[in-house]
Amino acid sequence: MAHGETGKIKNPGPFVFHASVKSTLLVLMIVGVATFGGGLMADSKRAWASLVQNHFFFMSLALGGLFIAALNYITSAMWSAPIKRIYESFTSYLPFALLTFLAVAVGIHHIYEWSHPEFVKGDLVLEGKASYLSIGFFVIRNVVALCIWIFFAMKMLKNSVAQDANGDHRLTLKNKAMAPVFLIVFAITYTMASYDQMMSLDPHWFSTIFGVYCFSGLFYSTLALTAVMAIYLRRNGVLQGIVNDNHLHDLGKFMYAFSVFWAYIGFSQFMLIWYANMPEETGYFLHRLHGGWALMTYLLPLKFLVPFFLLLQRDSKRSESRLLGVGLFMLAAHWFDLMWVVQPEFFKEGPQFGWIEIGTTIGFIGLFGTCVVRFMGKHNIVAIGDPRLPEAVFHHHQ
Amino acid sequence: MSSGNSNGKSSAAGVIGYFDSPDAILSGMKKVKAANFKNFDAFTPFPVHGLEHAQGLKRSFLPWVTFFGGLTGLTIGMGFQYWTSAVDWPINVGGKPFFSWPAFVPVAYEVTVLLAGLSTVAAMLLVNGLPNLKKRTFSVSLTVDKFAIIIEADRGAQNGKYRPYSENDAIEVLKLAGASGVKAVTDSGWFEN
Repeated sequence: MAHGETGKIKNPGPFVFHASVKSTLLVLMIVGVATFGGGLMADSKRAWASLVQNHFFFMSLALGGLFIAALNYITSAMWSAPIKRIYESFTSYLPFALLTFLAVAVGIHHIYEWSHPEFVKGDLVLEGKASYLSIGFFVIRNVVALCIWIFFAMKMLKNSVAQDANGDHRLTLKNKAMAPVFLIVFAITYTMASYDQMMSLDPHWFSTIFGVYCFSGLFYSTLALTAVMAIYLRRNGVLQGIVNDNHLHDLGKFMYAFSVFWAYIGFSQFMLIWYANMPEETGYFLHRLHGGWALMTYLLPLKFLVPFFLLLQRDSKRSESRLLGVGLFMLAAHWFDLMWVVQPEFFKEGPQFGWIEIGTTIGFIGLFGTCVVRFMGKHNIVAIGDPRLPEAVFHHHQ
Repeated sequence: MSSGNSNGKSSAAGVIGYFDSPDAILSGMKKVKAANFKNFDAFTPFPVHGLEHAQGLKRSFLPWVTFFGGLTGLTIGMGFQYWTSAVDWPINVGGKPFFSWPAFVPVAYEVTVLLAGLSTVAAMLLVNGLPNLKKRTFSVSLTVDKFAIIIEADRGAQNGKYRPYSENDAIEVLKLAGASGVKAVTDSGWFEN
């Protein structure tokens, strides 16, 4: 790979997953719907808790794909061109996030205590928040946010896909112009969605850094999924000669950096509340640090420590199998982190992890996977018309 | 990496060849590397990707310095706060335990980053022999649009591993490598154009 070496990059075309993958994902979806239905009858509290957790987890993955796309447009990033279509494919799930949000809205009385007027009445704090935490306003503003995200996803994906055919660099500039607008809107709306959908599970509690905490998880998990998918596709031979060890190295650096970022934000949230020790704030950590939730709270730093030490060395960021393992770990770690955010508001006694949680999650994996599989089967797996692709393929630093 | 040149008299210190583009110095560097001189180095106005491979430079050990510098910083940062707050002069702050580690994390973190950074810079200066007050004259064009390879005179005893240095030979090698201008340089200043 000499400097300046260029040449025609062979277009791998769309990636059609094996029929068994598609049917497996379909089965997972059916299992998920059946489990959720059964869960509603057996133990509805657990079913709803699992729904809102998985809704937020997968919505963040889909939105994270759009966030990374916008980030790379605004910075005119070169390295990411070969893997661009991978994180773009996640956004195809966004319309279904709107559906799962509507499911959350249907179960609002089972999920959010503040939705019961008799619970709010007489509670000074909740009465003060009542105009914001009202069912109509809650549903409308979150649906509007999801519609805005879907709008930006459609616009930017349309330009990106159109570029495959004509290679017009002006499409890159169009997306570059749209990216900052989206990023500003994203910062506001995702903070709002975090407050609304996650933080208001405990309507008395508040933490101004909570939106950043959720954002750090969004970035953390989306990077991990991008790496996992890139390695999966590489192993299936479609990205040969396009995604090389340098691109894995860059992804690994990102994953490493945002593990640290998550720890930084998570600890900042904890330390300020612990230090000030004010009764209206400490409740959140009190019942997480004592009783049935203590063990999980003490295990939570592993979400940072494992990627930190496993990805510290340069060679491990360039090792396909190491990166795949850490990527899968990070996805699981973030899922458990969200469980740690959601479940203590439902079950003071400790974590609930059984067939309802597993089945519901499996259903979401099936739905999300089907979206990505369909997207990749329809569009080129590599953004072949991206003007930055040739330079990125012969990416050579370090 | 430069060899020491302390005899002060204005003898030839080596031969320098100029190149006009990153591609030219990359392919030239491969040929100079193949010629197997003991001391040679490159000068470029900006980082040229792949040049370190062409030159045959090994990975630096500096990341290890950073790691152990950071580890030292973490230990000092935590240890000192523990000693002052819990051992030497225990003070009850808000009813919290004397060793309230969450309160110590920010300082320990900062000292970790500080020592990791400073030790890396110090080690970098040390292994590069910087600051360097002897060889100071620099061709302005090497910071703008020119690239250069220098083959330095071999002052130590010859051993069989390397190609013995001679000025004419080095000039010949640089010309074959595609240098657009080749000249001998002296100790008193490498690049007085």
